[in-house]
Order: sequence, then C-alpha cells, then structure tokens
Amino acid sequence: MAGIVFDRVTKAFGDSLAVREFSLEVVDGEFLVLVGPSGCGKSTTLRMLAGLDEITSGTISIGGREVNSVAAKDRDIAMVFQTYALYPHMSVFDNMAFGLKLRGVPRSDIQQRVQQAAALLGIEELLRRKPGQLSGGQRQRVALGRAIVREPAAFLLDEPLSNLDAKLRVQTRAEISRLHQRLGTTFVYVTHDQVEAMTMATRIAVMNEGVLQQVGSPQELYDRPTNVFVAGFIGSPAMNVFEGTVRREGERLVVAGDGLEVEVPPERADSFAPLEGRALTFGMRPEHIHDPAYVPAGIVPALLDADVDITELMGNETFLHLQRGSTALLARVDPRTGARAGSRTSVVMDLTHLRAFDAATGLAVPLEVPATV
Amino acid sequence: MTTTRSASSGHRVTWWQRLPLHAVVIAVVVLWSIPTLGLLVSSFREPSAIASSGWWQAFTHPDQLTLANYERVLGEQGMGRAFVNSLLITVPATVLVILVAAHAAYALAWMRFPARGLIFLVIVGLLVVPLETTLIPVLRLFSHTTIERELPLLGGNVFGTASYTGMWLAHAGYGLPFAVFLLRNFFVSLPRDLVEAAHLDGASDLQVFWRVILPLSLPAIAALAIFQFLWVWNDLLIALVLLGDPTLAPMTLKITNLVSSFGTSYQVLTAAAFLSMALPLVVFFAFQRFFVQGMLAGAVKG
Repeated sequence: MAGIVFDRVTKAFGDSLAVREFSLEVVDGEFLVLVGPSGCGKSTTLRMLAGLDEITSGTISIGGREVNSVAAKDRDIAMVFQTYALYPHMSVFDNMAFGLKLRGVPRSDIQQRVQQAAALLGIEELLRRKPGQLSGGQRQRVALGRAIVREPAAFLLDEPLSNLDAKLRVQTRAEISRLHQRLGTTFVYVTHDQVEAMTMATRIAVMNEGVLQQVGSPQELYDRPTNVFVAGFIGSPAMNVFEGTVRREGERLVVAGDGLEVEVPPERADSFAPLEGRALTFGMRPEHIHDPAYVPAGIVPALLDADVDITELMGNETFLHLQRGSTALLARVDPRTGARAGSRTSVVMDLTHLRAFDAATGLAVPLEVPATV
Repeated sequence: MTTTRSASSGHRVTWWQRLPLHAVVIAVVVLWSIPTLGLLVSSFREPSAIASSGWWQAFTHPDQLTLANYERVLGEQGMGRAFVNSLLITVPATVLVILVAAHAAYALAWMRFPARGLIFLVIVGLLVVPLETTLIPVLRLFSHTTIERELPLLGGNVFGTASYTGMWLAHAGYGLPFAVFLLRNFFVSLPRDLVEAAHLDGASDLQVFWRVILPLSLPAIAALAIFQFLWVWNDLLIALVLLGDPTLAPMTLKITNLVSSFGTSYQVLTAAAFLSMALPLVVFFAFQRFFVQGMLAGAVKG
C-alpha cells in the first residue's frame, strides 16, 4: 500500500500539452477518481503513473519513492485496461498467474492466490477457459483478478466499465467499490462518466484540457464547484447555467439574466449586494427549482415565470424544460406538478443554492450563506 | 446455412446456382495441375514408353510403371546426398531468418530507441536491391574470408565458399529484409494494451516477446517459414555461385548437372525433379492454413 504524489507533472506531445503542471496527493488507501471529458489528459496522467508514458517534467512518487525513471514493471502497481488486455492464448488461470510466475512466486503460493482471487470475484469455474470463451463481464472480472493476485501497492483502472452494458456497469461499479473496501489499497480510477466518479470515489479530481480543475469529495464538488466547468460537469442532469448580473432597482435587488429576472429576497440581500454590477455566470441545480405548490420548508424562495417546453415524467420526479427569453432552465420538481408542455407556469428558485461565477475567469464568487440555512 | 443466405433479400443460394463458379474453379485447378501430374506420371515410366507415347497413356497401360528411375536417381546419381544437402542448407537458413527477424521486428514494433523509423526504412529499402547485383561482392567477400578447415559433423569448409555456414549466412541476409518487414507489420497490429499489460505484470522486453508476442504471431511466423523454406529449397543461383564444392550441392544444383549430362534421359530428370518438389509440397500442405492466415495478416493488417 502506498500514497501517490504528483508534483507539477507535465506531459507534452510535440507542441501540444496533454497535461499541465498537475499536482495532486493521493492518500494511502484512497479511491481517487480522475474524471473529465475525453481528451482532458486523465488517461495520460494515469499512463504516466503506470510508467507507460514518459513524464515531460515534474515528478511522480509512489510510497515516498520517486518513480520517474523506474520502469513500469518495477513500480509495484497493477492496471486494469479498458480493453481488459487479457492474453488470448492463455487460460484464465495463466492470465492471473502470469505476473506471479514472472516474479518467481512459488507454485503453491500462485495456486493459492489465484484461487482466492477467483473466489473473491466468483470466477472459480472459469479458470480453465480461454478469454475468447468469456463474456464481457467475465473478462472484466479476470482483468480485475489479474490485478488483485499481484497484491500491488496501488491499482490503476482505465475506464474499466466502458465496454460493459448499462446493467452490468451498475453491478460491477458496486463490486469494484466493495473490492476497494475489502482490500484497502489505493485505487486510481479514470473515467469520463461523472456518475461513476460520484458513486465510487473517496475523492474526485476533475480535469479539463490537461489542467486539474478541482479535487474534493463528491459532495464537496457537487455543492461547491470552484468554477463553471466543474459546476457543469458534475451532477446529472447538469447544473443550469446562465449569464447575468445583480442589479438594483429602487429598493429591490434582482438577479438579471437574458430575459430572466428574479428578485432577491430581503434576507439574502446582504450576500448579493457586493456583486452588484459585476458580469457573472449563475448556476443553479435542477433540484433547487420547485413547483410553487410543492415547495419544501426552509428555502429562500424567488418566484419566476417561464414557458414549459417539455415535461419528462420519471415516476418519482418530473423534469420541466423551461424557457425564459433565451435562457433555458431545467427544473426537477414534484411529480404531482400541474405544469404542462406549451403552457406558462411559475416556478420557485431556491436562492440559497444559487452559485455565482465570474463571467470572465469562470471562477466561483463566494455568496455568503446566512448561518441559519 | 447463414453464410449462403443473402442478407438483403433473404434469398437462399442453391447448389445449382453455385455450379458455374465451382466448374470454373475446378477447371482452373485441373489445368494448373496437369504439368505436375505429367511430371509425376512420367517419373514412374520406362524410358522406351516415354519416348514412344504420351504420359496419359500410362493410365491405360499401368504395366509400364516402374520404380527403377527413382532407384537410379537416388543411388547412382547421388540425389539422396543432394536431398540431405538441401535439408542441411534450408532448415538452418530458415530457422536463422525467423529467429533474427522476429527479435528485430519486436524491437522495431514495440521498443523505443533513436532512429527506429529510419532503421526500418533502410531494411524495407533493401527489398528493392536485386539479388544478382550482390552476388559478386558476396562471393569476393567469402573467398577472402574462407576458413579451409573441415566443419565437424556436416563437412565442407568452416566458413566462406564451399561451406554450409556461408550458405546459411547468405540466405539469411537475402531473406531478412522481407522477414523483418512482414513480422514487424504483424507485431504492430497486435493490441498495444497486451504489451503494456505484460510490462506491468513484470515482464522484460524479452519475456514479452517470447511469452506474449510470439505465441500470438504463429500464423505470421508459419507463413514466413514456408516462404523462406521454399526460397532456400528452390534456390539455384546462390548455390551455383557461392558453393563450389559438388559434394555439398543441393538438389537444384544436382538437377542442373543432370540436365547437362542426361539431357535426353527424361525418366531420370522427371524423377529427380519430382523428388525436389516432394518436400515443399509436404511443407505447404501441412501449413497451408497458417499460410493463408499469415498472408492476410501481413497484407491487410500491416
């Protein structure tokens, strides 16, 4: 087991920078998920950690030892590939035993460790088969098994679920989480799927265009994104984002977007007042826009009229696609809502949860939340 | 029967619709095989029969068939020794090429080192050098470096002209550019993840090569083995120029000599010629499945 430290790690392919000045400390035993859209540099970061890609500048340490010039085979890490990368000419047993054989582990130990891992993953009956005779989910387990038997200092997983169908993905997601709890080893997991990140991670590191955007617990990232990118990326459905400003109209303070105006309730005026006149990007999660008939207690309501574009009934909730001027909003409301597509309706925004970001830099602007909320 | 069903119409192709195609294919195969069949039949006929009637007459007069031609060729004319010589030249030359080419191809496909692309380009470039232009320089080199001591067990000089080792090296040199080209292109088409997974499992490059790449490349290697075997087995030119010693002569060289001394004794020549074809035929039929796969692998995936 070991902690991992990235210190200003940069990777250049020719003139283009795939990863820029990436610094991050992965605590021993942590499940860290690197997440971001495709091409954001997350896989490259993982490959540098694995020793499969060279580091252009900066250092990576595993368990306190700098590994920049250590070959992949000597880094004591195991990796699960998106394609599983099982050796097609070897049986499942031999696939799992390969790394142990190369390390000169005694035959009886190999037998025992492979059996244990197979039992843990429920693939004992498959040990004699070849990878070609297995389903996608079974191959995935063998790939995990091959990593487990090695008892490495850290597990690296590169989008291991993306070749599975939706149902199996949910199931395997839970199994990998359980595996992490049981083994207590450091996991570094790469995915472009923020749901995987939210459900599995101890901490999430969000990357975009080669730059680390924010690191934190899933809840932290969801509640307090540091910039517009993280706000839009984390959460499904995504956070509503619109350009606007805070304007004073006589006694009233309003949040004004394109064709959209929301009055700030007096109890929140103090936190919004300092932002007056600034060009901002506002963000509000769909679940913080309510049907006026079903408003939860204790929120800071601000009323807004909007046209209902589409309604999507999900059973336990209903999504309202709203249009106000050129601003589109998604609301996640009580399924008993009376709002119908094509009509105009009123909704209530909970301004406690309104996020503000600087329009130019995209960085979060603090909105002081009253201690009572 | 799903393979014979056309997907768009669901129309089933019946045997009589495929008949014309099969007829054409069979006709071509028969036409193509007739000369070889003629050679085979003639090699079992008596000289007088060959002189007086066509080889197809043997089917109506099976009493004319004899093994005497083979006895004569193998015994008096030394074809037996030539057969052994052919093997002694061909097998090591084939193994050598595959071993060297496979290691080189692995390095060119999967290892990172300076000027890798340039080196591969130069090797591929050697494919266009005509063999004939190199014969005199190689001969001169060999005659200057000949070690005139007898090679234990096999005979011939230790190195240079009139030596097996010289033949192995020459054939390896001529065979390597194509071999490296074919295998490198095959290796590159294998999934990168497999190589990386093996490295992470703790394998060195040599272990990745022997335990992962090589087992997965058997079709390509089998195809290359057949190619190289046939080239060396059928080679006359290199043996003629570099060998010099008639006791080391392979079958091709021996048959050429037979033609000059038995120019009209067809029964001897046909038996000798068929003997020289027999082994390649066996090799080809034994590996033809790999051969087709390997051809595709080299051509399509490369």
